[in-house]
Amino acid sequence: MKKIVIIPAYNEEGNIKSTVENIVRFAAGFDYIVINDCSTDQTKKICEENHYNLINLPVNLGIGGAVQTGYKYAVRHNYDIAVQVDGDGQHDPTYLNKMARVLETENLDMVIGSRFIERQGFQSSFVRRIGIVYFSSLIKLLTGHMITDPTSGLRLSGKAVLQQFADEYPKDYPEPESIVAVLKSGKRVKEVPVIMQERQSGISSISVLKSFYYMIKVTLAIIVEKIRK
Amino acid sequence: MMTLRLQIIIGVSILVALLIVIGMVRNRKLELKYALIWLVAGAAILLFDCFPSFMNWLSRKMGIASPVNMLFLLGFLFSLIIIFILTIVVSRLSVRIKDLAQKIALFEKDGKGREDE
Repeated sequence: MKKIVIIPAYNEEGNIKSTVENIVRFAAGFDYIVINDCSTDQTKKICEENHYNLINLPVNLGIGGAVQTGYKYAVRHNYDIAVQVDGDGQHDPTYLNKMARVLETENLDMVIGSRFIERQGFQSSFVRRIGIVYFSSLIKLLTGHMITDPTSGLRLSGKAVLQQFADEYPKDYPEPESIVAVLKSGKRVKEVPVIMQERQSGISSISVLKSFYYMIKVTLAIIVEKIRK
Repeated sequence: MMTLRLQIIIGVSILVALLIVIGMVRNRKLELKYALIWLVAGAAILLFDCFPSFMNWLSRKMGIASPVNMLFLLGFLFSLIIIFILTIVVSRLSVRIKDLAQKIALFEKDGKGREDE
């Protein structure tokens, strides 16, 4: 089984080094690829100085385009399993091998790390949790599947989903929308409990001002994904 | 009825606009494909402007009180169509740019990998 960690990084100079080092140390058996989404800070320089396995995007594509580059790389290099770990240090790499085992033993297509099964660790702000519960209900309504943490970026996928994401992946705020796409194509998805950290440095890509746009955009995207041919 | 003065103002403006568009196509600053809709819109409005009797007849049929309003309606509809076409083009372009950027990045990566070996 060839396994790879996809690390999208946009201006993560403060986090990228510890993220990569933690993966190397705590996720044995996983290769990794950093996707530098045309960062304007020292991210690229830090990666090159440390000889990290790195892809540099020539223009800024946003999170969706960056992650998709990773899936395309994984397909090109015949990986069986790929997992996305955000470059901001929120995801604990010790979960990766557990998630991979769940995927293999239960013969699943995708395993999502959820903060809200055991409700431990950083639980996000109250307002965001309302948003998450809302997306959860919307997905349940449209697909019949319960996903407790649809915005989780920690997602491990098998070969079929890799190929699906390499072919098509949403541009921005991709998580909830792409789960609907995966569920709709009849693939098996399961959530496992994880504990997430608060970001170590820098700011989250979703600011308060953008939340309103985020809610509407993702709602429409989920509905469109559902009614698409 | 539309006054002769307004007729002339509209006619001259459209002629000037058409000349600019044609000039830009000649200089290759504008692709003919995208200039076409502008030329058609301009020509149609110019035609209505030159034959007010036809415009009067049509606006009466459509229940528009003042013929000049039909001209404005037409201009507005053409603008909407053009904007919509542009939105489609932008969507297509952004997907293509994304695919190209990813392809370049992957190519650069794998090219470098081979040099190392």
